[in-house]
Amino acid sequence: MSGKSQGSEVELASVNGEARGDAGVAHGAELLGFVEAVMAGDDAQLSRARQSLREVLSVEAFVDACAVIGAFNVVDRIADATGIPLDAGMLGMSAEVRSELDLERFGSSANTPREGA
Amino acid sequence: MGGLCLDYSAAAVPVRENLQQTHREILEHLRGPGCWFRGAQRLAVAAESRAALDCALCGERKAALSPGSVVGEHDRVSELSPACVDVAHRVRVDSGRLSKGWFERTRDDLDEGAYVEVVGIVALLAGMDQVCRALGIPRFELPEPLPGEPSRQRPANLVSGIAWVPMLAPEDATGPEADLYVSEFVPNIMRALSSVPSHARMLQRESITHYVPMDDLLNPEAGRDLDRTQIELVAARVSALNECFY
Repeated sequence: MSGKSQGSEVELASVNGEARGDAGVAHGAELLGFVEAVMAGDDAQLSRARQSLREVLSVEAFVDACAVIGAFNVVDRIADATGIPLDAGMLGMSAEVRSELDLERFGSSANTPREGA
Repeated sequence: MGGLCLDYSAAAVPVRENLQQTHREILEHLRGPGCWFRGAQRLAVAAESRAALDCALCGERKAALSPGSVVGEHDRVSELSPACVDVAHRVRVDSGRLSKGWFERTRDDLDEGAYVEVVGIVALLAGMDQVCRALGIPRFELPEPLPGEPSRQRPANLVSGIAWVPMLAPEDATGPEADLYVSEFVPNIMRALSSVPSHARMLQRESITHYVPMDDLLNPEAGRDLDRTQIELVAARVSALNECFY
């Protein structure tokens, strides 16, 4: 299960937490471990994950990762609480990835009309 | 931006100035009057959203197969209306399982504009709190409220029927909202809070510094020190954990 980003294959199962590894992305394992630790409640796990990420990323890239985690905790809440549909232009572009990730299992998928409906 | 001094020293890494500036702007934004709430009320919403993390009812609902199957009262920390408290808690803790039916029932007790204002406060604070957690620093204390009354004004030309809440299309953004959107492509996420224009403006500024500049949203090459593929991997995993389709 994979998708393309910047011309490279990304292992989509890692996005769903169904596979371990780097997802085909540079330092992907450390990034995914860090995201999961930030989103969970275990401070000791977060401390270890932060240290692992700091060892492979520049200081600036580490701060970028922290910022993106923040950005999508904003976006996700707004999207789900306002019931916005996926943008028309994104529907076709993301169809394969949405299918691979089985995103329609999320309740908020109901806010986006099915293609052809 | 007088007065607010935020401490990043525990991060042990330098935090770029535009992130710090955005965090100061968010807190300044939250403590001032909005469209439907005074500054003190907006900060009460913010406090409720943080209290939700330790709310027994929210915890039970989060663990339940269906959040609607668990009834009770939130562990509240303010005098806000029950509807406000419920929105603040649910959006903070379990936004991925909000439903249109719940929204429509909530709308019976909370004006649509007020609902959007609460959602924006909760979301902006949740994001900033998670940045702090990621950096390894304490979350910022909520500031003192600023005086002033809410404007009680809605933008003209809001359109209903696309999302649960009415939104302002870029081509309809005129008058005081003529400069509302800062990019040519305006995705629905940036329109979602447009019934509270100051929220929409704050969200765009937050997105520019925390994610990528608005005009680079569709440019797969645009990144930062973290490259775009890494950025999107982080974003996708966060959204999966939040159970967000968008």
